[in-house]
Amino acid sequence: MTPLGSALVGLWPYVAAFLVGWFVPRRQGWAERLGVATSALLGVVLIVGLWPVAPAAGVGDDKPGEWPHLLNLLVFLPIVGALGVLFLPRQAPKVLRAVTLAILAGDFVVSLWLLGVPMTTGWHFQYIATWIPAFGIRYHVAVDGISLWLVLLTTLTTPIAAYVSFGSIRRRTKELCFAILLLQGAMLGAFVALDLFLFYVFWELLLVPMFIIIGVWGGVERIKASYKFFLYTMAGSVLMLAAILYLVWVHTDLVGYPTFDYLALSRLSLPRVAAALCFYAFALAFMVKVPMFPLHTWLPDAHVEAPTGGSIILAAVLLKLGTYGYLRFCMGMFGGAAWQSGATLAGIAIGLGILYGALVAWKQADIKRLVAYSSVAHMGFAMLGLFAGTRAGVEGSVLTMVNHGISTGALFLLVGVIYDRRHTREVREFGGLAKVMPVYATIFVIMTLSSIGVPGTNGFVGELMVITGTYVSQSLGGFAKVQAVLAALGVILAAVYMLSVVERMFFGPLTNRANRRLPDLSPREVIALAPLVVLVFVIGLFPNIFIARMRPSVNALLEDYEQSWKAHSEMPDHGQARMRAQPEGPRRKGYPEPPPPRAEPPGAEAGREVARLPTEEDVP
Amino acid sequence: MDALLHRLEVLLPADEFTLLAVILLMPLLGAFVNGVFGRRLGDQAVSLMGLASIAISFAGSVVAFALLAFAANAAGSGESGHAAAATTFVWRGWEWLTLSARAGYSVPVEVAFSIDPLSAAMALVVTGVGLLIHLYSTKYMEGDPGYYRFFSYLNLFIFSMLVLVLGKNLVMVFIGWEGVGLCSYLLIGFWFEDGANAAAGKKAFITNRVGDFGLIVAMAMLVYYVGSLDFGTIAANRSLLLQDLSYWPPWNRLPLLDWMQTQSDWSVLSTVHGWVTTPWHASVATIVALALFLGCVGKSAQIPLYVWLPDAMAGPTPVSALIHAATMVTAGVYLVCRMAPVFALSPFAMFVVAFVGVSTAVFAASIALVQNDIKKVLAYSTISQLGFMFLGVGVGAFAAGFFHVVTHAFFKACLFLGAGSVIHAMHARIHATDAAQDLRNLGGLRRFMPHTHWTFLASVLAIAGFPLTAGFFSKDEILYRAWTSHLAVPVPDGKIPGTTVTMTGWPAWGPSVLFWLGVAAAVLTAFYMGRLYLGIFWGEFRGWRIVRRFRPRAAGHHDGASGAPGAPLEGPMPRESPLAMTVPLMVLGALALVGGFLNPHQLAVLIPGFHFAPVDDFLAPVFATAQSFGEVAIITHTEAGSVLAALAVGISVVAALAGLGIAYFIYAMRGGTPARELAERVPWLHRILLNRYWIDEVYQEVPIGTVDTLASAAVWVDRWLVDGVIAGISSGVVRVAGTVLRLFQTGRVQVYATAMVIGVAGVGWFFALPHAAARAFGDDDTGRYSLTAAPGLGYGYRWDADGDGAWDSDGFGQVRDVRFTLERERSRTVRLEVENAFGLRSMRRFEFTRPKVSRARPAAGRNTVIEIDEAGGARTVTLPDGRKIELEAPSPAEEGAR
Repeated sequence: MTPLGSALVGLWPYVAAFLVGWFVPRRQGWAERLGVATSALLGVVLIVGLWPVAPAAGVGDDKPGEWPHLLNLLVFLPIVGALGVLFLPRQAPKVLRAVTLAILAGDFVVSLWLLGVPMTTGWHFQYIATWIPAFGIRYHVAVDGISLWLVLLTTLTTPIAAYVSFGSIRRRTKELCFAILLLQGAMLGAFVALDLFLFYVFWELLLVPMFIIIGVWGGVERIKASYKFFLYTMAGSVLMLAAILYLVWVHTDLVGYPTFDYLALSRLSLPRVAAALCFYAFALAFMVKVPMFPLHTWLPDAHVEAPTGGSIILAAVLLKLGTYGYLRFCMGMFGGAAWQSGATLAGIAIGLGILYGALVAWKQADIKRLVAYSSVAHMGFAMLGLFAGTRAGVEGSVLTMVNHGISTGALFLLVGVIYDRRHTREVREFGGLAKVMPVYATIFVIMTLSSIGVPGTNGFVGELMVITGTYVSQSLGGFAKVQAVLAALGVILAAVYMLSVVERMFFGPLTNRANRRLPDLSPREVIALAPLVVLVFVIGLFPNIFIARMRPSVNALLEDYEQSWKAHSEMPDHGQARMRAQPEGPRRKGYPEPPPPRAEPPGAEAGREVARLPTEEDVP
Repeated sequence: MDALLHRLEVLLPADEFTLLAVILLMPLLGAFVNGVFGRRLGDQAVSLMGLASIAISFAGSVVAFALLAFAANAAGSGESGHAAAATTFVWRGWEWLTLSARAGYSVPVEVAFSIDPLSAAMALVVTGVGLLIHLYSTKYMEGDPGYYRFFSYLNLFIFSMLVLVLGKNLVMVFIGWEGVGLCSYLLIGFWFEDGANAAAGKKAFITNRVGDFGLIVAMAMLVYYVGSLDFGTIAANRSLLLQDLSYWPPWNRLPLLDWMQTQSDWSVLSTVHGWVTTPWHASVATIVALALFLGCVGKSAQIPLYVWLPDAMAGPTPVSALIHAATMVTAGVYLVCRMAPVFALSPFAMFVVAFVGVSTAVFAASIALVQNDIKKVLAYSTISQLGFMFLGVGVGAFAAGFFHVVTHAFFKACLFLGAGSVIHAMHARIHATDAAQDLRNLGGLRRFMPHTHWTFLASVLAIAGFPLTAGFFSKDEILYRAWTSHLAVPVPDGKIPGTTVTMTGWPAWGPSVLFWLGVAAAVLTAFYMGRLYLGIFWGEFRGWRIVRRFRPRAAGHHDGASGAPGAPLEGPMPRESPLAMTVPLMVLGALALVGGFLNPHQLAVLIPGFHFAPVDDFLAPVFATAQSFGEVAIITHTEAGSVLAALAVGISVVAALAGLGIAYFIYAMRGGTPARELAERVPWLHRILLNRYWIDEVYQEVPIGTVDTLASAAVWVDRWLVDGVIAGISSGVVRVAGTVLRLFQTGRVQVYATAMVIGVAGVGWFFALPHAAARAFGDDDTGRYSLTAAPGLGYGYRWDADGDGAWDSDGFGQVRDVRFTLERERSRTVRLEVENAFGLRSMRRFEFTRPKVSRARPAAGRNTVIEIDEAGGARTVTLPDGRKIELEAPSPAEEGAR
């Protein structure tokens, strides 16, 4: 066979996937066909491309092919784009939308590059630049196997959210484009920042565009909801800022130079009381975002009032910042305190997240509120995996974050579809929709199955890993088993509330006259949903290609978590902080070095003499 | 033949048995093509696709089965009769995910499938019966707008069922387990425009989820205790499951308990105290087995989770035949067989299995006695028969229980398809689903539908246990084993499992209770099946008045049973169903008659020394592990051919004949009058049975009502407590603060000016007074201290630096610093007086004490210490950058102080 022929034969899975996808849509129209076919193709590319080969031997330090500016491009492409959009005429909304989508799509393509390197232990695509040397603030970005997936989730869902928004929002397009792009940049920045100052800047920065999105394009009660969202998150993050400053002060005190760097500050071992206080200051900021009981009530309000695109981003990405923050900063910097509080917090995550969230969700009359409360339950699973602190638990938790982004994002999108048509989200307004909107009903049911964790879809993998990971958890102590069993109960309740809403919306007779002539999904909606549907099954069937990439990072993190707990248990309640031994190997890369001794300015000697302590000779 | 098998064996090695992939993927492909493209392909192509995929799967299963038998024969002859380990063919797909066990061990979970005698037999049943039912459905579902959807779901079901059956580990089984549940959900609600159907589907799914909860817990426990979910590994390491699990009851720390313990004169209290404070004991195997059994109870519709199955009859009848009778509902029995090595370790769990099974058998049979809906009768009959299967596996007769799965698949599928054929015929005039399958509208059909009638009769005889039919052999074997089995398991004495002496087993009354309850259920079964058969096929046809050359009115096709109120319905002669529907009936009917001869143990009663039990022999290697633990046999039973066996066979035959005879007497000879009289004489009993013991209503009120109330409470808490407290209190604080602060913002210049004057006056007053403030510096190591007084407007200072109580100088000077040295443990009080420009004075004391031992703080300065290593007298300081600094040796005084 000729080389060309064999190359073509080797391409058959891609061709087959593309062709099958091409013929799936029933109506004519190349855009829809192309969208679905491309999604199918990407799914196969993802599976084949990420198929875990034998684990790479050794850990190279400087991997070839890691372009150091990749993350800068990733973060600043949307931010610069947002500024660029300001210079485009508002009279040309089509241009604005096209430019925004092009930037977001470009960002997605750039982010795919991240998959090109094996995610060995340590930091990848690291870029460090001095920013404010006097305070030891640096611009330090990098990804590891954990943040990688959240970055990809962000770059995937934001274009979808933007694309959907452009279908339904016709007002103030320019501002919308600006807000979405800025939000994208800030979210990505928060996921890759390894300098606490930088992280804090991005963390706060993304509040502003989200606040605007809810407040400008939201529903009737949008002002109240956007304020609630802003104030809750702000209150949490102010505490975090205080804790960051305290940590920097302690570090300066101990080592002699200030730094905001995560690598250095995570080496601090604080006395127990201070550690607990700092831990809770950070944890509160993240728990507001997750959200965990009792700080969750901003979420349903924000979701209900936010426009569809805002809800998608909020659910898919913003909530993940809370879980990611807990994983990276709380577990990474206060391992001991996190370990100690694990059992209590896990109890909250189960009883008042998974179970309580599910119960409240069941009783909601508004579909969007229901999905919002289901987020509380799902994020309870994600947090539980982190509290358990076992490998399966943490991996399952990261996977649950991604899964929740996909399935809940898609559910919000689907709710937006019906809202655009009927301008109501009351469940009782619907019934029997499967007859008039079969495609819509099918995709809704698929996403429901993913959400309730039916095996074969992505939801199950995360839940199974979290539950088994909780059962074997050491950090939860004697509660681990009971907690795992209780968490498993959430599986029943999820089926109860999601299937109830499916039954009431789609099945039964078509009674409401207003629903008689509802159009099925538009091509735009199909294109937006197709990649999410493909991902549901790709993750559900081949979870290992995702887990294998996060494993080295999770292992390293857990190892450090345990060491941190040991160091913590030797600390006194009050007293002097200590520095733990620095990480070794690739995980140390980028550790902030002490600043070089400054050249002595002339006359400094005289000035110092005054401050000198008295010497023996001075005393008579 | 042998040559062919040999060649196949070479082509398909045991550890890479790709045929399994073909068996599995064909139905999946069929489901995908039919589901996505079915509407465009047309009904012909859809049915072809559906049938072809299942046919290929079936052919593959047959080949796999033949290869297994071939390999088993080869192994058996090679080892001369010694029970070999079960032959297993494996196909590994890919690594699916990795869980973590204790101490960080990884538990890889593969997408892997294996076929051994047990799963081969099950796969044959699934694909075989599935193929017949697919064929049947091509006609039954003809003209339905959701034709393509139906076949897509049905193919997906076969795929999921095969995943369940062929899964190599518990997770794969779970995937199939939930997959069949999902298909069941979709197919029960297939005609979703009727709200009741959709509700029934949801009920089935959620009830099953309760069971799945048990499976998830069992998986977590197995990961923890065994460190694997692979069936082979679990069986090999099952001794790990024998460890004791003690659990303190949650109330063992109630404050009252201490008081109770002191009341030694009241023996009741101390007894209660002892009972309450004793930890509960169970072996891990018991808990795991019970958790698994919870899943089986849900899937196989046993007490207390059986409620979904009768409602599931809302689905199309072929679905009821395939999913809710022949295959899916038997998955629970299959799982118990699959996990037999674990179940066998716990006599308690086995007794629970057997007892739940037999209770369900009696309970469901009693409900079936009075139901009028033919599909409901069959549904309760299925529940009852599943109970028999659990009785079989519960007493350790795994092969017998599984054989009943097979025979039940034949006769119950045949019964359901027969019922479907009847309903199909009734649809000529009666379009209301409930009315078309009501026993009161049927009767006399044996004249009109001979094929349906004869196959139905064959199956009725089989399920009733009429001698020499399939049901007779399988059911009798179960009853006989229930009577004669003994279960006992070693109890771990110490911590090491295996070093055991004592055995714990069943109570002596166990077997006979199980047996007699089983016999009662058998009598009831024979009776209600007789009633059903006679009601459908004997007597007069009650559906409508048969008119020769009946021609329906133009709009009359859909007028249903209630065309004109009062006027009797007229219609044509009920017609036999088309060939595509009767052929499956005949095949299944024939199997129902003769299928029992695959395992005819009972013939040994008639023919001494008779041994022919292919099914038992084929399955025996699979259950060999479960039968004994190490060298100790844990499941034993009295040998066949004994008096007991003959007695059991006799009782079983009498039971079947009695049930059928009573039914014949009441319904064929007396036209049902005695039954009506009995119902009138004992109305409460009739009402209880007719309303199914009101269990559905109780469930609606108690568990569902509780959760509902909890949910309402949670909503209230969320709305008023959480939001009220968190948001309310914080906004309240802000509001109050704002209200108070607003008072100062009056907007009147006079008020502001007054405030300003007061403020300036305050600052002026501060500056007018002298303040004797100073900053102290010192180093405890060297004993050098200094004080620096704060500057001020026109300040003069005078000091008492030596601490002798007298000012060092009389006048005030400009010396702002004093320095001095202190010996160890000496104190000094330094005084400072300040006089300002107005002549006002202020004085302050400063106390200095040099401590006995200096704090461990090296000379390098406060910024550098991280670790001090004092080993060997030399003190080294390690700086953060890795440099080490030697400290000067401690002074003798310091040394002494240590």
